[in-house]
Amino acid sequence: MIALRRRRMSRLAWHEARSGLLFLSPWIIGFLAFTLIPVIATLVFTFTNITLSQDAPLRFVGLDNYLALFRDPQVWVSLLVAFKFAAISLPVAVILPFAVALLLNSRSLRGSALFRVLFFMPYVVPFVAGILIWSQMLNSDTGWINGLLGLVGIQGPDWLNDAGWVYPGLVIIGVWGIGGGIIVNQAGLKGIPTELYDAARIDGAGWWGQLRHVTLPMMSPVIFYTLVLGVVEVLQYFLVPLVLNQGTGEPGGATRFYNLYLYKTFFAFQEMSYGATLAWLLFLITLAFTGILFWSARYWVYYAGESSSS
Amino acid sequence: MHRRIPALSAVMVVLAILITACSGGNAASSAAAASGTPEPTGPPVEIKWYCCLGTGDDKTQLPIEAKVVDDFNKSHPHIKLVFDHVAYSGARDAFATRLASGTPPDVVGPVGVGGAEAFRGQWLDLASLIAKNHYDLTQYGQGAVDFYKVAGQGQIGIPFAVYPSELYYQPDMFDEAGLNYPPQKYGDKYKMPDGSMVDWNYDTVRQIAMKLTVDSANKDATQAGFDPKKIQQYGFEPQRDDLRGMGAYFGAGKLAADDNKTVQIPEGWAQGWKWIYDGMFKDHFIMTNSVYTSTAFNGGRYAFNSGKVAMQENFLWNVCCVTDAGGNWNLAAIPSNNGKPTAVFNADTFRITKGSKHPDEAFTVLSYLLGDASKTLLNSYSAFPARTADQADFFTGLEAQKDSKGKPVYPPDVDWQVAVDGIKYADNPNFEAWMPAYNKSLDLLQTKLTRWTSTPGLDMDQEISNLKTQLQAIWDKG
Repeated sequence: MIALRRRRMSRLAWHEARSGLLFLSPWIIGFLAFTLIPVIATLVFTFTNITLSQDAPLRFVGLDNYLALFRDPQVWVSLLVAFKFAAISLPVAVILPFAVALLLNSRSLRGSALFRVLFFMPYVVPFVAGILIWSQMLNSDTGWINGLLGLVGIQGPDWLNDAGWVYPGLVIIGVWGIGGGIIVNQAGLKGIPTELYDAARIDGAGWWGQLRHVTLPMMSPVIFYTLVLGVVEVLQYFLVPLVLNQGTGEPGGATRFYNLYLYKTFFAFQEMSYGATLAWLLFLITLAFTGILFWSARYWVYYAGESSSS
Repeated sequence: MHRRIPALSAVMVVLAILITACSGGNAASSAAAASGTPEPTGPPVEIKWYCCLGTGDDKTQLPIEAKVVDDFNKSHPHIKLVFDHVAYSGARDAFATRLASGTPPDVVGPVGVGGAEAFRGQWLDLASLIAKNHYDLTQYGQGAVDFYKVAGQGQIGIPFAVYPSELYYQPDMFDEAGLNYPPQKYGDKYKMPDGSMVDWNYDTVRQIAMKLTVDSANKDATQAGFDPKKIQQYGFEPQRDDLRGMGAYFGAGKLAADDNKTVQIPEGWAQGWKWIYDGMFKDHFIMTNSVYTSTAFNGGRYAFNSGKVAMQENFLWNVCCVTDAGGNWNLAAIPSNNGKPTAVFNADTFRITKGSKHPDEAFTVLSYLLGDASKTLLNSYSAFPARTADQADFFTGLEAQKDSKGKPVYPPDVDWQVAVDGIKYADNPNFEAWMPAYNKSLDLLQTKLTRWTSTPGLDMDQEISNLKTQLQAIWDKG
């Protein structure tokens, strides 16, 4: 069939296709050189013994790296750290931008454009600079947050050095960057047809009824989108603990996230093959979670354009 | 036919770019390598100088390094020297990335013992280049040359700079507290406020450091009502870059026993770690990690330079950046522990990577940095010269340094002799000495350093015992 189509392709179409491919070639070359080939290379690395010092000759080690991974307690501890943090941060990362977007969308709010700008502004500040500023804000001795708590007679916690408080501290830092999520949610809210609210009001729905029966179903694709991105981001969580605690994992290993351990394995311990194996495990875990989310989407995500039979 | 011309032209342009990008200066260097001597033909060979696994990334040093590069390029038309600067905090990771991607820089430095050990096996044995270029090693002390001769790796460095430790102190703070200044000669006693003469040891330091630690109500750490949550000025600050170094000020040692397999915790190190821990959480004359990292005390970049610390142990390289501490600081002798002072020692040099594609040209650069440019760089790094002939003039050069407004950079009465005297008390073995699983071990040590400086209520004996066990587990795993 393909051969048949090829034969039918006119000379002009053939030239156009070739020109199109030529213009696409920078992207194709970039994709091959910087994405596909490195991805395949890391998979090959997982079956070898590459380290930077490379005292031993390069050799094929079969599944040794995968066996080492299952025997490495730090892998499971780091995954647990990531899951614990996800349990606290994911609801905040999904619900808070949605809630703020609802507020900004309210007819009763004056100056919503100003608030939108204010909420979005931190998002454009380089994240590392933001983390450094927050490390000072959360400093238990000299930080503004504990200073403010002290004004009302509350002894503030040691946000960054107490294993019990470090996750709330990290979530607070994360909240600073929800501007992007707010914009996405607001765009979703603006896209909901007002006739649906009119109809709901005629049917006697109050604020809660409209939220439950109109807003949430219509926003479910946006919530699904932010949830998928949130899961991917939390599994790759890395920059904040690296900058805050120089990647030491302190306090008490509570910030040794999986991705941080992966990074250390590559660049501090210089174990390239084992690092590649850790990266592939992270990829498979992320794939599994996003797969589950996509499977569950059919039960709770509503796409207005879809026919009921599909 | 004419339709094909634009497409063919585009293909040719892409190919031309790819070929140009891939070719670089290899042709010239290959020819040079084949003939044995670098021939000044073809385009200049690009040599990358990677900084800063050691000192070198201070804002005052970068323009000087840039000028050194410019001067080199003007006098060496067949080599193009490129300065590849990564700040110290990220330099190891960035260097690992360059090695892993197969694009190592050619010349690396200044790099200390620790930075070099973190990349053991990556350095070129310079012996053949030294012989080929008739490089004169007799201009350095034999001990300094042998320091870089490593079994199994060869002569992996040529001496450049040494940094003995000193006690930096603020005379004004001592005056305000009614205390005598610390001794500037090793072996001298210290005169306490009651007139008694006592040994200059860490117990004495603890006593006077508490008097020099002051809260917002102007009470010192020995007085009733002193509030450790509102400290405005600290009495003492250890050199806290490396847990091993923190311990080594209390006695030289190394973590690997002579069999290079068994972990040992030097007795002095354990004493030092406990002394520092008590200084933070019991006597409050040393700041905790959260205070240390606050902007009020220089945000984790050597708290003495905030001007709110009375004494700090640090290396001579800290002189480069101590100007922010105010215009009146001085140097004193490192205190003793168990009757012996240990002025912990750093040494930096430039090295050539094993993966350099142009070792001959890299050696030309190395010779320049260690030769013509060495005085400029040593002054900038506040590094004591390893070359014997340069040592006498070094401090005169420091004193002559002026800032952009023409004011002298350093106070006029600094007793530089303290630094020279400290060399006799250098830690041997050096605290950065090799140990198995070097990078993993360092990672654990860094974790412990953060824990011990951040967590009150620890049983330090148990902590040190845990460290030993955990290190041994890392070493056993290999």
